[in-house]
Amino acid sequence: MIRFENVKKKYGNTVILDNLSFNIEPGEFVVLIGPSGCGKTTTLKSINRLIKPDQGKIFVNGQEISQVNPVKLRRKIGYVIQQIGLFPNMTIEQNIGVVPKRLKYEKKEIQKITRDLMEMVDMSFEEYAHKYPSELSGGQQQRIGVLRALAASPPIVLMDEPFGALDPMTRATLQKEIGKLHKKLNKTIVFVTHDMNEALDLADKIIFMEQGKIVQMATPEEMLANPASPLIRDFMRKSSLATDPLNLTAADFMSANVISVQKKKSIRECTDIMARQHIDSLVIKNEDETYAGVVTIKDIKKHGISSGTIGEIEPYQNITSDILENAKDSFDKLYNSGDNYVVVLNNDQTVAGIISKTSMATAMADTLWGDMQ
Amino acid sequence: MIFFETYGDRLITAFQVHLFYVLTSVTIGFAIALVLGILLSRVPQYAKVIMPLLSVFQTIPGIVFIGILFLYLGMIPATVISALAVYAIFPILKNTYTGLLDIKKEYIEAAKGCGMSPFQTLLEVELPLASPSIIAGLRMSTIYTVSWAVLAAMIGLGGLGEFIYIGIASNNDQLILAGAIPSAIMAIGLSLLIDVLRRVVVPKGIRSVK
Repeated sequence: MIRFENVKKKYGNTVILDNLSFNIEPGEFVVLIGPSGCGKTTTLKSINRLIKPDQGKIFVNGQEISQVNPVKLRRKIGYVIQQIGLFPNMTIEQNIGVVPKRLKYEKKEIQKITRDLMEMVDMSFEEYAHKYPSELSGGQQQRIGVLRALAASPPIVLMDEPFGALDPMTRATLQKEIGKLHKKLNKTIVFVTHDMNEALDLADKIIFMEQGKIVQMATPEEMLANPASPLIRDFMRKSSLATDPLNLTAADFMSANVISVQKKKSIRECTDIMARQHIDSLVIKNEDETYAGVVTIKDIKKHGISSGTIGEIEPYQNITSDILENAKDSFDKLYNSGDNYVVVLNNDQTVAGIISKTSMATAMADTLWGDMQ
Repeated sequence: MIFFETYGDRLITAFQVHLFYVLTSVTIGFAIALVLGILLSRVPQYAKVIMPLLSVFQTIPGIVFIGILFLYLGMIPATVISALAVYAIFPILKNTYTGLLDIKKEYIEAAKGCGMSPFQTLLEVELPLASPSIIAGLRMSTIYTVSWAVLAAMIGLGGLGEFIYIGIASNNDQLILAGAIPSAIMAIGLSLLIDVLRRVVVPKGIRSVK
């Protein structure tokens, strides 16, 4: 879908893109990430010819783009920019319709597209279509920014740190939405970010760049398991502990190392596990991996070590927290409840990890003084 | 009231002539300024040299400029109109230029990224966003021109200046006021008209912002 062949770009003596070659398959969600100045934004902008490389070839859909009229090329590539960039002089409907209008779509058709797109992000057409960008919140504006890029249903969408300026809560929501949109619409998306969490969450493939070169191109799982350089490792650690303590989420402080069992496990096996792991409680999961509750050794004693399954014991409803919940809120929960830990749940109610007083202390020391593990 | 019986008709004619000078010269000045401002905003590196040169023009006293034009063109309305137009250009030009340059780069980039041609970007994004500034320049020019048009009488071409000049020469306060008050009314009236124009031209979405 998008292919770079030995692409080079210099500004004065500074090499921005150093002989870049890679290939993006149709339908892939590719995230470009790296330290600032690594060339990720330049790479993105050379795809729709906002930046012209000095050497090398870029192919979009099999066509070498230097041979294509840039205006026509850009109408086939959606583009979402960093600072939202909705035109303040146009209504929401006009903003979304910018590209379809250039492509001479009928007025009615543009309206239908706008309505459908707004529905996808749960914004009412009647309420918002005739408003101006300044009347919307930042999150709503960036939603419209994304919709504008999708309006003429381009096969490719480029996004340049689209959620960088948003607060963490809104960012999380929009990340979820963009993930959904990608699955639903099957677009090829190229997404620039400096936030590793965002990259790990969204990407099918992550391209990690440094000084105009690709250091590693891999799936998130692969990159997590085998980071190709110390810088990537460092990036993943730093990103997972956002610099501003107010932005930390439950995910940053939890220990992912949770001992959990399914309901159908026998009680005997469970006590075995507890003995071996030196723990006094187990997280119980339903058959579909979702969280059911917690069973402590006391509960088991009360029930008697029979030959039955752990599911027979009514699990204790331990306190839980959403993985994206603000870390401070999770702490407050932990302190205000009598429970020994908070169970952190993913969006689909599966268990992500737990925050105990110990894991909290480790994580705090980690943020303050660096790697403690 | 005797005053109006004597001067009424002349006052109305003078008012009309004055208004005619103002409207034509501001219209011509506006057209030139808009085009020039757009062109200069495309080449800000040259504009940095050209703008100060043009502003030197502004410092030549109107009375001198009209005098010089009078020597070359003679006693025709075109003399007055072209002199006033030259003066009307600068405030509009400056506001058009700065208005266009002040637009945040991300809007231009967004427009480009959405596949707008440079001309479409100018028409649909840049000019609407610069319109508050351009209209402010237009208002300034118009008000200035109303007062500069008084100079037309200096070379015998009528307008409200006539009353003022005769009034000064004959030490007649009534005549001076008869020229000055209608000029002030004209300036206020045109300024109100521009407010209406502003409401039509400036897009709703940016009115609260500016």
